[in-house]
Amino acid sequence: MTDQSEAEVIEISELGPEDWTEYAIEQGWSDGFPLVAPTEAAVERFVSVCRGDNEPFPPISPRQVVPTLHSLAANAVMAGCRPEYFPVLLAALRGVLTPDYNLHGTLATTHPCAPMILVNGPLRDRLGINYGGNCFGQGWRANATIGRALGLILLNVGGAKPGVMDRSTQGSPAKFAFCFGENEEASPWPPYHVRRGFDTADSVVTVMSGEGPHNINDHASTTGEGLLTTMAASIAQPGANTIYGKGPHVVAIGPEHAATLHRDGWTIPALQQALFERARVRVSDVSPENQVQYEESGHHPVDGRYPVSPTPEDIHILVAGGPGKHSAWIPSFGGTAVCSVRVRLPD
Amino acid sequence: MRIVNPSFGVAPAGAEQTIIGKVNWNEDPIVLFANNKPNARELLEGVRAKLGAMRRIDNVDYIHKNSASQPAPGAMIEAVAQKYRAALLALGD
Repeated sequence: MTDQSEAEVIEISELGPEDWTEYAIEQGWSDGFPLVAPTEAAVERFVSVCRGDNEPFPPISPRQVVPTLHSLAANAVMAGCRPEYFPVLLAALRGVLTPDYNLHGTLATTHPCAPMILVNGPLRDRLGINYGGNCFGQGWRANATIGRALGLILLNVGGAKPGVMDRSTQGSPAKFAFCFGENEEASPWPPYHVRRGFDTADSVVTVMSGEGPHNINDHASTTGEGLLTTMAASIAQPGANTIYGKGPHVVAIGPEHAATLHRDGWTIPALQQALFERARVRVSDVSPENQVQYEESGHHPVDGRYPVSPTPEDIHILVAGGPGKHSAWIPSFGGTAVCSVRVRLPD
Repeated sequence: MRIVNPSFGVAPAGAEQTIIGKVNWNEDPIVLFANNKPNARELLEGVRAKLGAMRRIDNVDYIHKNSASQPAPGAMIEAVAQKYRAALLALGD
């Protein structure tokens, strides 16, 4: 391997927190927020948590350089993570580096996608990852800093600088941080990671390149059938990348909606099949120019409506959030895959 | 104050770059490479028409990858590198 003509450790003058932040922003290392200084001692505390995780990382797009555990830990420190978050962050990174995730495409696209990080398993409680009320929002250090740290890694090691290699037309608030847990305790169905083949005792990180959550508000429906009507119509959007019918999406059902659906006998496969068949975009809602383009790309309507999922299994259903009559739809970039990685914990 | 460089990374093995000679834009074979976004072909056809004013264009070809969101297959890139001296890319709509 060839050194990139940069040193892994840099000697700079002594700086207080404010001067450090100014310095770091000048280097282009920030997402716009202040950063914690990645001193050697701070970084070492993170690296020591992951001793024994010797599987090398592939190069990170678009810069195509191989990170070291220390450079990754530096970004985690800067983001404000605690050392014990680091294994979750590394699992998320391994997820987005899975070839099917298509990291380069998701970073360079004009689409406003961000790496969605879903955490399942015992680590949610151990690390304080919010999966209840406001789980997509502010207020929880683990959610905020794990999501932020992944973004900093993609910026600093990967080189996805906004306006340069990150070509997003408008971006998204989700690019600052998009990390949450599944509310397994409030779910009437098996946890998402167990349905993906992992053990209940495993802690698993699942990533998808997605837009921020789109609310699905339904206060009035008292039946699963009623909720499905609202959900399917909310997902059938002609302006989302899922209109191309090529990618996955996530439906994060609120616990109260989940309880109603379960009470009425809805299983996960049945929900996937129902949404696959009902969440379709009417041809009359698609412009003639787009109809031509979809025709040329082989995406044809079925009975006058465009499917937005390749298969029912591309609709990933989980439970998240707290009390209230809301669920969320998270459409993907399209040319991406949902990738799950078990968190490696130190022996 | 010693800090760990958050941008540090090393180039993967085999990533050495090759320096090629200067391109003769009046003579050398050129490929117009579309990313398959809407209107990419139209953009490149405009480029081809302009090239026709300054050079012969029987060695200016057009290809496209199959998906705007997916990278071009390695074999496609290799074939382009073997056959053409330069590629003009349509990266946007």
